[in-house]
Amino acid sequence: MKNAISLSALCCALATSAFAQDKTLTISVYSFAQDEYKEILYDPFEEICDCKLVIETGNSVERMAEIEANASNPVIDMAVIASQDALELARKDLLAQLDVSKLANLSKLYSAAQDPIGDNFAVGYTFYASSIVYRSDLIKVNSWADLLDEKLAGNVALPNITGTQGPLTLMMLDKAAGNDGSDLTGVISEVGKHADDIVTFYSRSSELTQLMNQEEVIAAPVGRFAWSAFKDSPLPFAWAEPAEGQAGGMNVMVMTKGNGNEDLAYQFMDYWLSTEVQTKVAEALVDSPANAEVVVSDEIADNLTYGADLINSLNLLSPAEIIDNREAWVEQWNTEVIQ
Amino acid sequence: MFSNTREGLALALPAAIFALLLFILPVGILLSEAFQSDAGWTLSGYTDFFSKPLNQTVFLRTLKLGVLVAGTAAVIGYAAAFSISNLSPVARGRVFGLVILPLMISPVARTYAWIVILGRTGIVNDALVGLGLAETPIRLLFTETAVFLGLLQLFMPLMIISLLSAMENIPRDVIPAARVLGANWFQVFFRVILPLTKEGLVVGGTLVFTGALTAYITPAILGGSKVLMLETLLYQQVNVSNDFVSASVIAMILIIMSFTANLLLKRIATARK
Repeated sequence: MKNAISLSALCCALATSAFAQDKTLTISVYSFAQDEYKEILYDPFEEICDCKLVIETGNSVERMAEIEANASNPVIDMAVIASQDALELARKDLLAQLDVSKLANLSKLYSAAQDPIGDNFAVGYTFYASSIVYRSDLIKVNSWADLLDEKLAGNVALPNITGTQGPLTLMMLDKAAGNDGSDLTGVISEVGKHADDIVTFYSRSSELTQLMNQEEVIAAPVGRFAWSAFKDSPLPFAWAEPAEGQAGGMNVMVMTKGNGNEDLAYQFMDYWLSTEVQTKVAEALVDSPANAEVVVSDEIADNLTYGADLINSLNLLSPAEIIDNREAWVEQWNTEVIQ
Repeated sequence: MFSNTREGLALALPAAIFALLLFILPVGILLSEAFQSDAGWTLSGYTDFFSKPLNQTVFLRTLKLGVLVAGTAAVIGYAAAFSISNLSPVARGRVFGLVILPLMISPVARTYAWIVILGRTGIVNDALVGLGLAETPIRLLFTETAVFLGLLQLFMPLMIISLLSAMENIPRDVIPAARVLGANWFQVFFRVILPLTKEGLVVGGTLVFTGALTAYITPAILGGSKVLMLETLLYQQVNVSNDFVSASVIAMILIIMSFTANLLLKRIATARK
């Protein structure tokens, strides 16, 4: 009898173990800072949920293509992407509307992050400011218009329009020219007139870090998430606070439609949005918090997009505007700027 | 060589299956996308591609740089191969080793070396400013010149190897005989050396031209988005725009350009017989 009970217990243990092995959540994330995420987010969550996380990484286009290609039988349960990319997926009917009652930490988020693209298709998990990084020993940048000033000709790099920083930079250049930043047609033409003065149009912030450290470029717009790569450089770099303000953007969490793993995905999203995880991620200088309850030291805050005042002051470009106009912008950009 | 053709076929079969399943089939599927639309088979992908001014510029730039790199490599390659072929066997082996040495170094490392040379704080600009030839450093990176130099350095060894191999097959007495009979060096080159090394030129020219057309790292690092070439545009279409149709069109154009260059070079070589 004793042997029979032991055998049953062993069978149960094996069955439970097998069940835990089967319980997996596949997430699609940006490829940076994966070591930090593993330590702060992935490993603790796997212990809590007794499940296995499958991490898919890549750039936005690759990951969005994967979600679209597997629309009828999703392989990705949950993804983090830029807000405009989330809207694009939502318009293609690839995302599930979130049941926000299952996200206990939602109310702790800044209001802009709670329903950033409408109809609860996404929830923001990080903000980023976008401004100009420059060589403080050589120049002083006071306005976005300085980027196209003759004094900086041949020393400036701009982000390509196809990346997230491109439209934000154009919006701020348009505002610096006295417009409202909503119609980018004029400012694209203006950049086209100065195209020979621009060193290059970069696609990745890592590319810009290299160019600035090699002294090829002395001023360029970049997201705050890349600032840590500049502040440790032996060269004196400064973060501009232009008269027109800083631009900003948001990355969001989404859930694929009909993935069949919704409960686990909600549990993971809520854990990521918790004050505990958002604080640890912020302290590791990985992402700026969207959770308003996160408190970090002044030193950490200096490296992040942190605090209600800063977040509320950011100039945001609506995701819908980006999606609706992106094709026309790229077409005009290719004709007037890149050529 | 084989007692029957079956043995030969059996030995070739694994390589043939490998090539068919892992190269010809996937590339064929990818390229066929360039001829498909919702309405069926079409050439609209090509007409759309060439209707855009940016694509026209990129196509012509790629063709221009490919021809320039192959042409310059041929000129320098002939001089280098001729001088190497006249060295003693020991010296020839050593110099040949130096020629192929760059091929053993990653193209990424070789291309990054150009940043050190052509950058604003690089050797060239330091020399220009130091000698008073320029007041401030001049822009050399992210220009067609930088891409041209990078590609030339990348593929020059292939041209030299091809020409050297062809030159070593020229009978030793032919060139002295031509000189004794009164031919000047210009005539020796065009009437003796060139006809006898045309196969090497065809092979080297095809390798260099095709390599220059399809290299990605060098144009991406030294040219960036301001000096787009077909291969960097292809990468952009896939990774930024997720536009596989345009990418397939570009891939097909690159293949056609490579085959055309090979056929043209062979035709030129044949015409000289």
